[in-house]
Amino acid sequence: MSTILKLFVFPISLIIICVGINTILGGHITPGGGFQGGAMIAGGLIFCIVVYGLKESPFKLSHSFLAGMESAGALGYVLLGIAGLFFSGFYLYNLGVDIYNIVPSAVQTLFNYPDPTNTGIIPYLNYVVGIKVLVGLSAVVIAFLESDRILGENEQ
Amino acid sequence: MIFYIGPLILGFLLGFILGTRIKPSPESKLKFDKEVYAIVLIAAILIAYYIGPFPYYKDFAIASGFVAAIIGLIIGKLIFGREKSNKAQIS
Repeated sequence: MSTILKLFVFPISLIIICVGINTILGGHITPGGGFQGGAMIAGGLIFCIVVYGLKESPFKLSHSFLAGMESAGALGYVLLGIAGLFFSGFYLYNLGVDIYNIVPSAVQTLFNYPDPTNTGIIPYLNYVVGIKVLVGLSAVVIAFLESDRILGENEQ
Repeated sequence: MIFYIGPLILGFLLGFILGTRIKPSPESKLKFDKEVYAIVLIAAILIAYYIGPFPYYKDFAIASGFVAAIIGLIIGKLIFGREKSNKAQIS
């Protein structure tokens, strides 16, 4: 890739990542959400990986990091569901909003996202979905870029 | 002034996690010094100002989650993304 591209891509990718995070954080009341924001963050990471290459990329995404993030995202989603099951009897019950008034107020306060929109656990679900999507899409591109090396090793 | 802690914490956290992954490449001839991060921070604050209070908040004049994310990225890079010194590598 050209030097000009290499100079500009990393700062721009930081901005793209921030736009993605912003999209996740506004997903409960604006267009966007976990998948879209996660895809935007992955876009910023992929932009860097494609331009600089895997070895020279400023973002070092190791296998253990990607596996840990993906597991944390999945686990967060399941735990939010199980918390609903535990406190209300319904899987993924929105504990922060509690439309049936069956949850203690302390639990409701704990699970309510602290902003004026009163959306309960929806922003948290967006967040964990965003983490899973950003890891999933980045991992696909990293796997494609690594495939040449892995295939070469297998042939030898 | 009312300010909402949700987007600040979550934005900072995700930015911080991704910022820890920014590490210098010994193979690369390009180095991104602190000036680059300072310019990105100023640009991000400008962008956040033009986005406005997002999503439909009335706390700050800027998108607080956006600014928290870039601050998290930079702090994550500063804490965990530094180049290891030669002494540390030898030991």
